[in-house]
Amino acid sequence: MTLTETRPDDAVSTDAESQPVAPVAGLLGTGDHVVVGRAWVAAGSVFLLGGLVAGLLAAIEHADVGGFAIVNNSNTFTQLWSASRVLLLLGGIVPILIGLAISIVPLQVGSSGLAFARGAAASFWTWLLSVGVVILAYAFDGGPGGNDTDFVVLWALAMMAAAAAIIWALVCIATTVLGARAQGMTLERVPVATWGFFVFSISGLLALPVMLAELLMAYLDTKYGYLPTATSRSGLVGVMDTISIAPALYWVVVPTLGLAVQSIAVHTGRSIKFHKTVLALLGVIAFCSYGADVFSFSSRGRALSLDNGLMVVAILAVAVLILAVLGAAGDSMKGGKPKLTTPLAAGLGSGLLLLLGAAVSEIAQVEPIVNFINTNFDASINLADWWSLNGTSFHEGVRGLILGAAVLGAVGGVHHFAHKVWGRSLNAALGLLSVAAIAVGTAVWGLGGVGAGFAGQPTLPIVDLEAGSTVELFNVISVIGVGLIAAGVAIFVLDLLMSLIAQKGSATEPWRGVTLEWATSSPPARGNFETAPIVTSATPLADDAEGEDA
Amino acid sequence: MSDISIREILPENVAGAAPSRPRLLVIGTALASVAVMVGFGSLLSLYVRTRALWIATGDNGPWLPRGVTIPLTQPNMMAMTLVLSLVTVLWAVASMKNDDRANTYVAVGLSLLFGFAYIAQTGYLLTLMGLPIAGDAAGRAPLFYAAIGTHLAITGAAMAYLAIMGIRSLGGNYSAKDVEGLYGAAMFWFVMVTMYFALWYAIYITK
Repeated sequence: MTLTETRPDDAVSTDAESQPVAPVAGLLGTGDHVVVGRAWVAAGSVFLLGGLVAGLLAAIEHADVGGFAIVNNSNTFTQLWSASRVLLLLGGIVPILIGLAISIVPLQVGSSGLAFARGAAASFWTWLLSVGVVILAYAFDGGPGGNDTDFVVLWALAMMAAAAAIIWALVCIATTVLGARAQGMTLERVPVATWGFFVFSISGLLALPVMLAELLMAYLDTKYGYLPTATSRSGLVGVMDTISIAPALYWVVVPTLGLAVQSIAVHTGRSIKFHKTVLALLGVIAFCSYGADVFSFSSRGRALSLDNGLMVVAILAVAVLILAVLGAAGDSMKGGKPKLTTPLAAGLGSGLLLLLGAAVSEIAQVEPIVNFINTNFDASINLADWWSLNGTSFHEGVRGLILGAAVLGAVGGVHHFAHKVWGRSLNAALGLLSVAAIAVGTAVWGLGGVGAGFAGQPTLPIVDLEAGSTVELFNVISVIGVGLIAAGVAIFVLDLLMSLIAQKGSATEPWRGVTLEWATSSPPARGNFETAPIVTSATPLADDAEGEDA
Repeated sequence: MSDISIREILPENVAGAAPSRPRLLVIGTALASVAVMVGFGSLLSLYVRTRALWIATGDNGPWLPRGVTIPLTQPNMMAMTLVLSLVTVLWAVASMKNDDRANTYVAVGLSLLFGFAYIAQTGYLLTLMGLPIAGDAAGRAPLFYAAIGTHLAITGAAMAYLAIMGIRSLGGNYSAKDVEGLYGAAMFWFVMVTMYFALWYAIYITK
């Protein structure tokens, strides 16, 4: 036996009673990583729902191709669209993933706590306040396309603060993985979920500062009169391009892929066979997303050049890499005994939707490849007259598929670790219902966006088109898709809040894996482990069981 | 204050306690430094690219707005000041490793003094440049101020970090067996100075 820990005797934790879920008073200034992680997850889920509601309103506005149904003009539409984008990513998906990482990573690496735990708590409060101010700025005519200079400036400052808070949280996570692992826990032995969070953290540390630099320029340009009108400020919507358009957007799916693979292994009862290969693949996916990210930071006009060789290669490679990761998960499905649980359904759905999004995004690479041939080899080949997807809703469709897959992965991750983090499981039936709604909604949203892109609808600004056109049909499909995702997330948020605050849900540990987090109580007591674990493989609890059998 | 160091009190064979959080501060500082370098590098890239596009167009005239000059004396003095600060920061770490607290405080104090001198010289240089941040029709002024201002902010952060670690050393948190805090602060200081040289070349030398 190589593990000095033993599983807790009772499935129902006694510590769950001695360490109640902390109210706000207990949350202020806490150094308990599990408590901080819960706060990130809960607040991120609420903002995620807010982002989807804003996205739904923007989609309804887009569906009315003949004029303006909800907003007054194109600039207001830009604000709504931008608010949805900010809340979905920096308000919802990324914070939920950070919350899961802060809660789970120290447990998975056998650490007694998170590195700089109070710093992580400070980052949570900074982020929460900043996102609140961002929403306030949008409400008072700020943000991209905003007419009120003061609130546009405030928006830029609050966005910078939110990004800085997220960067600091990522530093805490990455430092824990690098410096606080248990004895024997080499980097190649860390669980896939932890590795996904680590790669996510490093990618974020390299990508978010680029966005911060753009936000600083946005702040100065607006404050000192270089963007005097609402129309000129509409271009500020591009400051998030460095993290929110494929392939850069893939940095948020690396941890959800890790969560999916780990969940599938637990819920099929079969360990990941190609552990090191999966770790390497996740790293390469992040690398591919970053290379393009750097090159997108190319102009003050914040125009993203999609005609970029490295970006084309990265996008082409990512789909193959995702397929390979899913192949490893498929091995667990094939050799194990899958049980229909919410994490398994969410993990599978997330992986497949992500693969679909990556595959669809390849279509847009035909254009730059043909342009390259046209410029360098054969000028007679020209797609421009009948095939032009850049600047159209096509990329919105791809973004919808990837974001939806990330949302699904995050929801699955919360379901998988809920009992570990706050001692109560989420409702299985509601979980499956929300997963189904999010999965179907994502596919429909993607179809609507991609279809409208092929029909020639530009992403921004909103334009008047003939009612009853093909574009209108696809836009209505998008509305249905976003609505379904919003409904699914609303069910999830309701279930989450009932479990977290009202302590509804089963207190019995619903499943167990073979990684270190399952060697301690749920939720863990302070210090996480009674004695420091010593591990010799990527599946320490499986080693432990084998040793006991022998 | 006593001149007797801990090493003189303790026998040679007494091992010091291992730091409770081995290397975490150094690792965290390294990661944060990478993020800071990427952000600052982005601003400098934007400056260089915008200037290159301006020059490539050909009809725009000189890159520096009319009436704006960037003298070389101040940037070079600032570079030398920061190089000197590298020596004093290393002095602080080395003296802490020898449990020589008196030297540590002097070295930290001098480093902070050099940091203040750098900030003051930058302020004077900006006065000499005479570039108003608003009103430049071509929008070049914010690019200068974004890069220079960000480096000033990074310098302030490096000074705060070093000051806090100096105070913690004074309070006995660090000793010859555990200089993690000062290591971290020194690492960030080196990163700050390295970034100044990028700024020095991109803006002050090639203008």
